[in-house]
Amino acid sequence: MSNRTRRIVNTNLGEPGMKRYAYYLSCINEAMTKEVDRSIDLWQKDLDIEFVKMHESVCCGGSNLDYVSPKHFALVNARNIAMAEKLGLDLVTSCNTCLLTIRSAKQKLDASPELRDEVNGILKKEGLEYKGTSEVRHLLWVLVEDVGLDTLRQKVKVPLSNYKIAPFYGCHILRPSTVLGKDNPLEPTTLDLVIDALGGKTIEYEHKNKCCGFHTLLVAEEESLNVAAEALKEAIDRNADFIVTPCPLCHTVLDGYQSKALKQANINKSIPVFHLSEMVGLALGYTPRQLGIKRHIVGGKA
Amino acid sequence: MADQKEEMRDITFRVLRFNPQVDSKPYYDDYTIPVEKGITVLRALNYIKEHVDPTVSFRAFCQAGICGSCGMRINGISKLACTTQVWDELEKCKTPNVIKVEPLRNMPQIKDLIVDMDPMVDKMKKYSNWIESTMPESKMGEKEFLIAEEEFQEYDKATDCILCASCMSECSILRANKEYVAPAILLKSYRMNADSRDGIHEKRMEALVQDHGVWDCTHCYRCQETCVKNIPIMDAIHGVREEALEMRGAKDTSGARHAEAFMDDIQKKGKLVEATLPVRTNGLGWTLTNLLPMAFKMVLKRRTPPPPPLVKPSKGIKKFREEFQEMSEHVKQDQKDRKH
Amino acid sequence: MKPFDIVVVGGGGAGLYAAMEAMKTNPSLKVAVLSKVYPNRSHTSAAQGGANAALGNTAKDDTVEMHIFDTIKGSDYLADQDAAEVLCSEAPKIIRELDNIGTPWSRLDDKTIAQRPFGGAGRPRCCYCADKTGHTILQTLYEQCLRKGVKFFNEYLVLSLSVDGSRSKGLIAMNMKNGKIEAFPARAVIFATGGYAKMYWNRSSNAAGNSGDGQAVAYRAGIPLKDMEFVQFHPTGLRKSGLLVTEGARGEGGYLVNNKGERFMNRYAPEKMELGPRDLVSRSIETEILEGRGFDSPAGPYMHLDLTHLGSELIKSRLPQIREMSMYFEGVDPIEEPIPIRPTAHYSMGGIDTDIFGRTPMDGVYAAGEAACVSVHGANRLGGNSLLEILVFGRIAGHTAAEEAGRHEAREISRQEIEEKEQELRGLMKPSGHYERYGELREELGDTLAQNVGIFREASKISKGIEDIAALKERFRHVRVFDSSDVFNTNLIQVLELQNMLDLAETVAAGAYVREESRGSHTRTDFPVRDDEKWHKHTTYTYENGKPVLGEKPVTMGRYELQERTY
Repeated sequence: MSNRTRRIVNTNLGEPGMKRYAYYLSCINEAMTKEVDRSIDLWQKDLDIEFVKMHESVCCGGSNLDYVSPKHFALVNARNIAMAEKLGLDLVTSCNTCLLTIRSAKQKLDASPELRDEVNGILKKEGLEYKGTSEVRHLLWVLVEDVGLDTLRQKVKVPLSNYKIAPFYGCHILRPSTVLGKDNPLEPTTLDLVIDALGGKTIEYEHKNKCCGFHTLLVAEEESLNVAAEALKEAIDRNADFIVTPCPLCHTVLDGYQSKALKQANINKSIPVFHLSEMVGLALGYTPRQLGIKRHIVGGKA
Repeated sequence: MADQKEEMRDITFRVLRFNPQVDSKPYYDDYTIPVEKGITVLRALNYIKEHVDPTVSFRAFCQAGICGSCGMRINGISKLACTTQVWDELEKCKTPNVIKVEPLRNMPQIKDLIVDMDPMVDKMKKYSNWIESTMPESKMGEKEFLIAEEEFQEYDKATDCILCASCMSECSILRANKEYVAPAILLKSYRMNADSRDGIHEKRMEALVQDHGVWDCTHCYRCQETCVKNIPIMDAIHGVREEALEMRGAKDTSGARHAEAFMDDIQKKGKLVEATLPVRTNGLGWTLTNLLPMAFKMVLKRRTPPPPPLVKPSKGIKKFREEFQEMSEHVKQDQKDRKH
Repeated sequence: MKPFDIVVVGGGGAGLYAAMEAMKTNPSLKVAVLSKVYPNRSHTSAAQGGANAALGNTAKDDTVEMHIFDTIKGSDYLADQDAAEVLCSEAPKIIRELDNIGTPWSRLDDKTIAQRPFGGAGRPRCCYCADKTGHTILQTLYEQCLRKGVKFFNEYLVLSLSVDGSRSKGLIAMNMKNGKIEAFPARAVIFATGGYAKMYWNRSSNAAGNSGDGQAVAYRAGIPLKDMEFVQFHPTGLRKSGLLVTEGARGEGGYLVNNKGERFMNRYAPEKMELGPRDLVSRSIETEILEGRGFDSPAGPYMHLDLTHLGSELIKSRLPQIREMSMYFEGVDPIEEPIPIRPTAHYSMGGIDTDIFGRTPMDGVYAAGEAACVSVHGANRLGGNSLLEILVFGRIAGHTAAEEAGRHEAREISRQEIEEKEQELRGLMKPSGHYERYGELREELGDTLAQNVGIFREASKISKGIEDIAALKERFRHVRVFDSSDVFNTNLIQVLELQNMLDLAETVAAGAYVREESRGSHTRTDFPVRDDEKWHKHTTYTYENGKPVLGEKPVTMGRYELQERTY
C-alpha cells in the first residue's frame, strides 16, 4: 500500500569462500569507541569475511554537512565511495549515521548526472571516479544477508542463551526508509534475528526503534538525555540483561551518558550496553577483555 | 442480483479510554465486533459508537484523509483512522486480532482519543506560520504575483500538510520537551520562507533559531516516516537550517556552531575532532560544568577522544584539502550566479 | 471579550474570508469565528478541482460574460442573473487576492496562475493547485486569520439564534470541550456552516458534520430557506463511504459495467458513453440498479467502475489518487479489481435565503457559501463554481456585516435563555423506558432520502419519503444520549446534528414534492420536462409550528433569455 509495508530481509546463506568489503573508518570508532573495530578485527576471519580498511577516507559529514554545504557533502562522500569502487568492493560501515549519510549522498549522486560530473571533475586529479557501482551497507546487513543467520548459528561457540537482550536499532539504520529501505522502519527485525541466531532471547519493548538523542546532545542536552532515559528505563523495566546496538553513536549516549541520563530521570539503576560487534564476539567465544568491553563506562556481568 | 460475499472476522479494538470527570487515569476497553474486509479503522470505531458504546469519543470529519481530524495511534503508530484498513493492521497486532487504538501523544488528552490541538495553533502563531505579503493591502486583488513553476515546486509538497499532528505525536524531542517547535511547524515555516511573496523571512528565522527551535531536532526521522501525506519533513527541517546558516551565519546558536564545526574539521583533518566539539558548540564554561565529571570517568576508561594535535589527519589529506578548496570555489561561483 | 461586533459561524472558506474581510473593512471591530471543528478541518479542504475565474491566462479570449452565461445555463436558468454577474465579475479579483496573500496556485510557463478546462465551461478557466485546491485555500485563509488576530472559538456547536422580535441579538452555543452553554451577544451574525447533503448519510460524499447546522438554526429562528430540493449527485461515489472517485477515472478510459458484464452506458449515451454529463450518468447507473442489473452487498447495491484494462502502468502514473482512495476506503486495488461505486449526494444548491450583499431577511443576520442560497447555482452547480462562491460571497458578507454592524445596537442575551437550552439538552440524557438509537435513525433518514428523494423522484415516492421523515422525527423524541459527560460529548453532538438534518430533510422533501417539473438536479419521472411557465421561480420555506410553510420568489432575470439547456 505504501512504502511502509513490511520488508522481507534476504537471509540467504553467503557464498562459499572469503567475502571482502571496503571498510569505512568512522570518526567515532577511531576516537572514542575503539572497541568496535577491535572486536571486528578479532572475529572477521571466523565468519569468512574480510574488511579492507580505507585509511584515506574522510569524515562523511555526520548528518550535518548535507545542509551546511550540500556540494561539499557530495564531494566528500563521492570520494569515499569511489575508493571502495576502486577496490571493486561494497562499502561497509559499522556506524548508523555514516550509513545514512553516505547512502543519501549516493542517492543524490545517482539521481543527478550534473552533480556526478561536477564532483568527478574534481576527483579526477586524484585518479578517482564515482561510478555508482559499489553498494553502501551496514555491518548488520552483511551479517544477516551475506554471512547468513544459519552460518552464524553454526559458528556460535558460547550461545547467549542465558541473556535477555534488548535490541536498540538506532534511527539511521531504519529511517528514512526512502534512503535505507532494508528493514521495516517502524517495526524492524534484523537485529532481533541476529540475537536469535546467537542463541539470545530478545526483549520486546517499544523503544527498540526509537531515538537515542545523540544528535542534539551538545545542543539540547536535557532533551537528549530525556530521550535516552526513556529507552534505558524501558529496557531496565523489562528486565533486560543488556542492550545491544549496531551504532556507536547510540552506544556513546546509552553507555557514556547513562548515569547522567538516569540521574536526570531519578532512576537508581543501570544496564550494560554492548556493540553489535561485541555481542557477536562474545558468542564466537572471545572474552570481554579481548573485545574491549572493559572500556565501557557502565560495568556489566557478561 | 449478483452477490459478492466479503470476508468477515471478529476483531477486538482495545481503546484507551479516559473521561477526566470520572477517571483518575486512562484505562483500556475492549470491543469485539464483526468486521468485513475492506473496512477502515474509523468505520469500525463508528460501528462501536453506534452499536456498542455511544460514549467512546473520537474526532472524525471528512473521512477521506484530507481534513486531518482523526489522527490517533493505531497499534502504536500515529496515523489517520479513516485511511487505515483494518485488514492491514491485523499483521501488526501484538496479540492476534487485537488492534490497539490510542490517542496521539505529546498533546494533552481531553477525552478518550481526543487530544488538545491548541498547542499546535499557538506554535503556528509563535513562528508566524503565514505569509506576510510584500504587497500592500490596498493594492491586493489588482494583479497576481509572477511565480516560476520551480519556486512552486520548492514548497509544493510542504503544502500537502493537513496538520493532523501525527508527526508531533511521533517526535522524539517534543516528547522530551513540550516547548519544542515541532515538525509540522518547522515544515510550515520552511514553506513560508521558500515563498517569494513573503516579507518576513528574517523575523520568522529569528524565532526559529532560539532555544527549542530548529537546532533542537535530533534527526530521528520519525516525523517523516509516519507522515500520512508522505512529506519529506526532514528535508524541510534541513532546509530551514541551511537558510539559517546562510542568513545568520554560525554566530548565534549552539546548533549552528555545532554544524559549522563539522565543516572545519573535515577540511582540516578529514575527521571530526570530537574532543573540542563541545567547546566549539557551547563554549568553555558549559563544557567544564557539563562534561568535566564525565570526562574524569572517561579518562579512567581510556575513552577520551584525543586532543586536536593528536588527531591524525586521514591519509592523503593534502590532496583532499585541495579538492575541498576547489569545491569551495564552485560554491562561491554558484552563489554569485544565483545573485545575478 | 464578549460581546462581539461580528460572530461568524463556521470556519470554512466562506467563514474565514468573511472574518478576514470584516477586519480589513473596519479594523476596530471585534470579530470572532465560532466553529465546531478547528477551521483547518472544514470541508472546504475536500474540494479538489479549483475555482473558476475569467483571468484569461490559459485562454486569452475568455471573458467574464462567457463565465456568467455558462453559470446561468448550468443552473438551468434558475440562478438569479444579478447574483451570477457578481460572482463572475468578482472572480478574477478574488483569485488574485488569494494569490497576493499566499495561496500556492499552480503556474503556467509565463509564471501566471494556471487554469484548466472543467465541465460545462466554454473556456479553460478553473484555477487550481494540483488536486488540493480547497485544502490550500483553506490553509491560506486560516493562516491569514491567525495573522490578523481573529478570535477563534474552536469546537463550539451553534445551538440557536437569540431573537428579539424581528432582530437577532446573537447566538447560543455549546463549548464542546466542557459542555458549557454560552451566549455570544453580537451586533451581526454570519452563517457560513457549509452544506446539508450529509442528510443522505451513507449516500453522500460530504464530511460527517455537514448537517446544515446554520441553516437549521436560522430556519428555526424564522429565517426562510430557499431552493432546498436541489441536491447534486455525483455518478461515482465509493460504495461503502460515498466518497468521490473523480471524473479523471472515466476520463482516462474507465468503463462502467453492470452485473451482466455490459458497458451499459451504450444504452443511454451511445456516443459519449461514460463521459456523458454528470446528471445523465448518475441517472443511468441508478436505472441499471433499479432494473436489477447491479451488484449486491451488505452496504447496498452498486456498480463496477472497471479500470483493470488500463494496465498497471497507466493507473499508477495517471490515477494514483484514485488508486489510493479505493485501496484505503474499499480495500480494492483497481489494477486487479473493478472499483465498487454508486451515485452519491455531494452538493446542496439550496440554503438560507440571501441577497447579493449577503443579507438574510432578518436584520443583523447574514449568510454565505454553501449554507446560503443567493442564488448563483440555481438548479445545478457548475464544477469550479462552489469554491468561487464561498470566496466571493464570504468576502461580500464580511464586508456588508462590517459596514452595517454599527447600525445595530448590542443587546444582552438573558441567563434564562441559556438555562432553557441547558434544560433541553439535559432532557436528551434522561433515561426513560423506551428509547431510540440515533445511529439507526440517521441511517434510515439517509436511506429513505436516497430512495425516495434521490436521483429519480415522483409524487408517490416523495410522499413515502415525507411520511418516513415524519415518523423519524417522532422517533427522534425518544432518542437517548447515553454519554452523560460534559467533556467532548460526541454522542450528544451527533444527536443534535441529526435533529438539524431531520428539520432540513423535511424541507427538501416538501420542495421536491411541490416542484412538478424536472430542472437541473431535480428529476421528476412523473414530470420529465422543465416547466418554465409554472416553475421558473424559487421555492422558499418558513418554519411555523415545527413544519415548513412553502412560498415562492421570482428569479431575477437580466440579459439572458430562457433557453433549452443542451450540451
